[in-house]
Amino acid sequence: MAAITIEGLTKRFGDVLAVDDLSFEVDQGTVVGFLGPNGAGKTTTLRMLLGLVTPTSGTARIDGQPYRALADPVRHVGAVLEASSFHPGRSARSHLRVVATAAGLPLARADAVLAQVGLAEAARRRVGGFSLGMRQRLGLATALLGDPQMLILDEPANGLDPEGVHWLRGLLRDLADQGCTVLVSSHVLAEVAQTVDQVVIIAGGRLVAQSTLAALTARTEQLVRVRTPQAEALQPLLAAQGVQVDPDGGDQLVAVGTTTEAVGQAAAAAGIVIYEMRAERSNLEDVFLQLTSQQGVRA
Amino acid sequence: MTRLIRAEFTKLRTTRLVYSVTAAMAAFAVLTVVANATDRQGAPPLSADSFSTFVAAPTTLLAGAALLLGILGMAGEFRHHTVTQTFLVTPDRGRVVAAKLVAYPLAGIALALTTLAVTAAVAAGWLAANGITPSLLDARLGRVLLGALLAAGLCGLVGVGVAALVRNQVAALVGTLVWVLVVEGLLMSLLHAPSLGKWLPSAAAAAITSPGGGHLSRLGGSLLLAAYALALALAGTRLVVRRAIT
Repeated sequence: MAAITIEGLTKRFGDVLAVDDLSFEVDQGTVVGFLGPNGAGKTTTLRMLLGLVTPTSGTARIDGQPYRALADPVRHVGAVLEASSFHPGRSARSHLRVVATAAGLPLARADAVLAQVGLAEAARRRVGGFSLGMRQRLGLATALLGDPQMLILDEPANGLDPEGVHWLRGLLRDLADQGCTVLVSSHVLAEVAQTVDQVVIIAGGRLVAQSTLAALTARTEQLVRVRTPQAEALQPLLAAQGVQVDPDGGDQLVAVGTTTEAVGQAAAAAGIVIYEMRAERSNLEDVFLQLTSQQGVRA
Repeated sequence: MTRLIRAEFTKLRTTRLVYSVTAAMAAFAVLTVVANATDRQGAPPLSADSFSTFVAAPTTLLAGAALLLGILGMAGEFRHHTVTQTFLVTPDRGRVVAAKLVAYPLAGIALALTTLAVTAAVAAGWLAANGITPSLLDARLGRVLLGALLAAGLCGLVGVGVAALVRNQVAALVGTLVWVLVVEGLLMSLLHAPSLGKWLPSAAAAAITSPGGGHLSRLGGSLLLAAYALALALAGTRLVVRRAIT
């Protein structure tokens, strides 16, 4: 059975269709990146999954059950949704003790998770004085409190400095190694590309792609960047060979899915002067942008 | 359920609010004793009976403070977005409201006990300095204490109910003030029926601290105020359960 099952999930806020008939599954023990541009419906989806927002239609289940039906949700699922959901006047340790008390967990867990996220020194400081990065760490500490087998994280890297992002990757990798299922949302693929096994990409509330990271990488393409004073002449020539060619400003062209040899041959045959030519690969971010922009704009 | 109630007390203990309110009430209590003891114009001379009068002075404000605690305890969760975490831990939202409905009356009673103890200590000291020994077995003193504790407890309950319904902290505070200071008066004059006035919430609260006169009996006032609180809480809970937490 899948650890997370989203089926036909739809949420309408007035005139806005935030999530539109979304379906996907997350397998036990996998780390899945939940990606999409801002406003794609990621947060609304995660909030529906966690029982905070009621879907207009469709279902979101964790181990086959709606979140609200889980007997001991904190021991089952850890969630980080926003970095600002702390009382500013309460200390980090007290915040965790409140959660531990309500969840029936030993109070000692508060100090254990503070140490785990590197906040032991700040345990007795009021959260109001915390930086965004420290709040993210405290959010993660809260999620880890019940030692859950599943983590649901909404943009956990927001506000983290590079060192913090590096630390977060390490933490997620450790958890994944322990068999933890992780669903982590982000609007930047690169942020999670090093950590995730699979990606679920949404745009405009709809599923755009669900694949392994390897399959996504395979969609990157060989590019040839050409600088020539005769761009207007070279472009139709390559296009006639079935190569997609895009002008890249001034005297530059980008030919997709071809090789420097092919471009050089074509140019020589037509007596076209080339100043500069180099081969590169499109990156994952290009694939991500391409996928989300195609589907992202809808009437 | 017990762990949810304990969590509510942990929440209360771990911010400064409850300490500030208690300190303010204690300071106010000392002031009322000093004011009552020094300004004796038109009042009977100090006697052993003055003790219960002194102790009774802060009861109305105590009820207000308990109401404030209840409102902030519920609406504060929405204001600081802590409600997200609270509902992640306890997805059955009705149980969260229920825990607050138990915790805040108790907090109101604890606040009242502390304040009344300070008032009694200062009043007893003042009277003793004037050669008067107050009696702690005075029946009137017992009624004052009972009324103050009941009113504070029930006002804590009302506060949670109001905030569950209104959710916005500022709206709940301002709305309660406007209700007590303006709306109830308007209702009285619009209805042209002063006899109906005793059924309004603040009259019910007043009946608990000073029964008789135009008010209901203490038991009647307590039951009426509790009914108001539970009606508000029930309506509020229905809204809270359905509402999207975004």
